[in-house]
Amino acid sequence: MVSSLGDGFSKLIVDSIHGDIHLKEREVQVIDTPSFQRLRQLKQLAMAQLVYPTATHTRFAHSIGALGAMIRILEAAERHGVSIEDEQKDNLRLAALLHDIGHYPYSHLMEKVDRVKLTEEEVEEDTPTAKAIDARRSKYPDHEEVGALIVTAQADLVKAIGGEERAKAVADIFTRRETADPQLSKLIHSSFDIDRWDYLLRDSYAAGVPYGQIDINYLLNNLKVSPQRMLGFKDKALAAVEHLLLARFFMHRVVYYHKTIYGMEEACRQLLRRLRDRDDKRYHVPKDGEEVRRLVQSEALYTFTDAFVEGVVREATEDEDDAVRALARAIQSRRPPKLLKEVAVCEDVEKKTHAGRIFMQNCRSKLRGLAEEFDIPLAQFLLCEPYVRVVKPPEKPTFEQVAKMEAGEIQKRAFEEEEEDIKIFVADAEEPISLMEIEHSLVVKYADYAFQLFRLYVIYEGSDKEEIIERLKARVKDWDKS
Amino acid sequence: MDRQQIALKLAVDGLELPFEINSFEDRLILQKAVYLAQAGGVNLGYYYQWYLHGPYCPALTRDEYAIDYERKQEVDGCKGWKLDDESEERLRKLRKLIPEGQRREVRRKLELLASVHFLVKRRQVHQNDTAEITMTLKRFNKDFSEEEVGNALRELVENGLLTG
Repeated sequence: MVSSLGDGFSKLIVDSIHGDIHLKEREVQVIDTPSFQRLRQLKQLAMAQLVYPTATHTRFAHSIGALGAMIRILEAAERHGVSIEDEQKDNLRLAALLHDIGHYPYSHLMEKVDRVKLTEEEVEEDTPTAKAIDARRSKYPDHEEVGALIVTAQADLVKAIGGEERAKAVADIFTRRETADPQLSKLIHSSFDIDRWDYLLRDSYAAGVPYGQIDINYLLNNLKVSPQRMLGFKDKALAAVEHLLLARFFMHRVVYYHKTIYGMEEACRQLLRRLRDRDDKRYHVPKDGEEVRRLVQSEALYTFTDAFVEGVVREATEDEDDAVRALARAIQSRRPPKLLKEVAVCEDVEKKTHAGRIFMQNCRSKLRGLAEEFDIPLAQFLLCEPYVRVVKPPEKPTFEQVAKMEAGEIQKRAFEEEEEDIKIFVADAEEPISLMEIEHSLVVKYADYAFQLFRLYVIYEGSDKEEIIERLKARVKDWDKS
Repeated sequence: MDRQQIALKLAVDGLELPFEINSFEDRLILQKAVYLAQAGGVNLGYYYQWYLHGPYCPALTRDEYAIDYERKQEVDGCKGWKLDDESEERLRKLRKLIPEGQRREVRRKLELLASVHFLVKRRQVHQNDTAEITMTLKRFNKDFSEEEVGNALRELVENGLLTG
């Protein structure tokens, strides 16, 4: 819902997560550009709506929500004595609004196409020959780089933001360049960043699961700023901080890595990689990073939406390649890849051998034979290893290392590498310490733990589907044992 | 490891650098070495911004930790993979940029080369203006002399990372 206001703000948006969000005139101009409106055509959670039907919210809604979260943090920071100039505040608000402007169709699914390994590349061959990665080809740029390109090159946005210089300043904030104030930039990128505050709440609400329902009000009320301008939380908010970190972990387990969602997304990733690597131009999948960079700086950006991938999938259902056709038809008709086996592992990252590793090794050595035996193309088996750390720990330097560092070095290191670190004010201390130094914290105890799922799926649509799936499951049942 | 991480590990191997990330110095060396590899035409997919120690890429740090995680589990994720021959050759030529000696010296040299390259290519500081480059580095508390900057520029040109 949008309505006009007459109190210095231009418009009011009523948001399901943050309530009333008052927009400034410039923000309304930015939102009204075709470049920004594109975000309405990007689903926030890619294929999650295939399992959670109401998870259809968009990058547009999340971007407005990120602005809402930024407004709340700025208000809280000011309440706690941080003075921020008006222009800086306006730039931070714009950076929050625009932080996801560079997302690809289906978000990370397409962005990470260069990282995708095809199944036949994963499994061992009878006569091993090294597979070559072509490092001459430029890789797809990440969405932050794409965002900076869009913000500084798309004429509609540059004009709405207020000129080239300002557009660059805003892009510098969300790409974390040195020109941005490190602590203010941290508001967008650290563990208590506005992106995470909004997506946990919004994804959780939209999917209808409670795992991302963080206590944002309590966190904001317990924000504190040190004389050195370090932002942190009072120690009484420790449980809310732990919940914030664990919420991310549980949302990965329940929603982002859901077996059906992840299986469908993996099928789509492999499909896009296969089509991207082809020489023909039929599908218009950008062949390399340079083509993406050209595309996003042109008007073609406006149609670079989820519909682009959906069009590719639709056309690929009639492709001459069996594997491409099978992958596309599974996605198009929502016939998810069937999970043959999953090995879940939650272990200390230092642990060398576990059932997951054994399972993957068996897949690599036995899958080719299994595919031949059942006469199913290898490309219709999908191997994946989604992974999430309980928390993303910063480096824990030894006392010796710290003792050798100069004071300035410690501060610089904090900026470059500890963006994930959350600071806590213990008792009445003026300066905060790292959460990782709080021994009684639950998340610190599990900081060295990682949760990983090792999965093998198959796409098979023969008339004997049920029987074949059961036989395949029986064959791989013990592949997690050495 | 995903394909990008495999390519990263193979590139570091191609430069004959140890994949060490235990200390800040270790990670800084990897950051700058990967930057120079990319400047030399080996596309690994990392986008650098200027931070306090010169060009830096947070995504690269994340991938370094992911590779290290598998290494600790004694998994060789690179088994059966290689880079294309042309990129291997480019890396071989870039090895001469890495000095032999103490890690501290390696770090200082790579930081200088990567920073100078970034300033010329991305900040449009004119590469004939060694004084301006030196001054820019000093603004970031980098104690490199004009002579060192001049030598770095010459080395970057000689190795094809900058045009003469």
